[in-house]
Amino acid sequence: MSDSEKWGWWTLGVVALTIAAYVAFVAFLGHGPATSSVFALLALTAIPASSRRYFKGRTFDERERQIAHRAGAAGFSVFWLAFVGVILAIYFIKGWNATLTVPVWALDETLWWAASLVMGVQALTTIVLHRGVPHD
Amino acid sequence: MTSREPEIKNHIRRLRFDHGEMTQDQLAKQAGVTRHTIMALEAGKYFPSLLLAFRIARVFGVSVEQVFEYQAAESSL
Repeated sequence: MSDSEKWGWWTLGVVALTIAAYVAFVAFLGHGPATSSVFALLALTAIPASSRRYFKGRTFDERERQIAHRAGAAGFSVFWLAFVGVILAIYFIKGWNATLTVPVWALDETLWWAASLVMGVQALTTIVLHRGVPHD
Repeated sequence: MTSREPEIKNHIRRLRFDHGEMTQDQLAKQAGVTRHTIMALEAGKYFPSLLLAFRIARVFGVSVEQVFEYQAAESSL
């Protein structure tokens, strides 16, 4: 398994763990600071000094960089679609001149979900683009 | 209508064996990429950059055309 693929599985695992923890906290505790704090788990993506272009301090080669670029584009494309969808939904549901009062936790969690979406799609795309090449 | 994507075939596997059964790992290290990239190249899952194509050709001591073979796309209506 290449470093790029390891990054994909690690990141996807962290995102899945975060979502599972969030669902469990909401089920038992409801919304609150404790529930919002589960998003701190996303910091685990930094443990292997990982990013879309590096893993364990090693630089990706040209194929891995190409996959990282395509995965990044997929992640932000999905984020953009979700962003436009949410904005349009608010227009249609609340109306153009409506005033929204949003609690801080809702704003925070929206940002966390957006980050999770981008990272999750990037990781999944990375794994999919590595398919078809024999593993070790 | 039929069409075929342009293909770049390569002879990396044969050239490795012609060069003392060079392993994928040895070629990868000399070309400055990971073994997975060499595996993807041999499997036809990845087309290299011009720079990598020249690096691989240099490892084998041959021209790029002797490693990579371009087959033009065919299309008919």
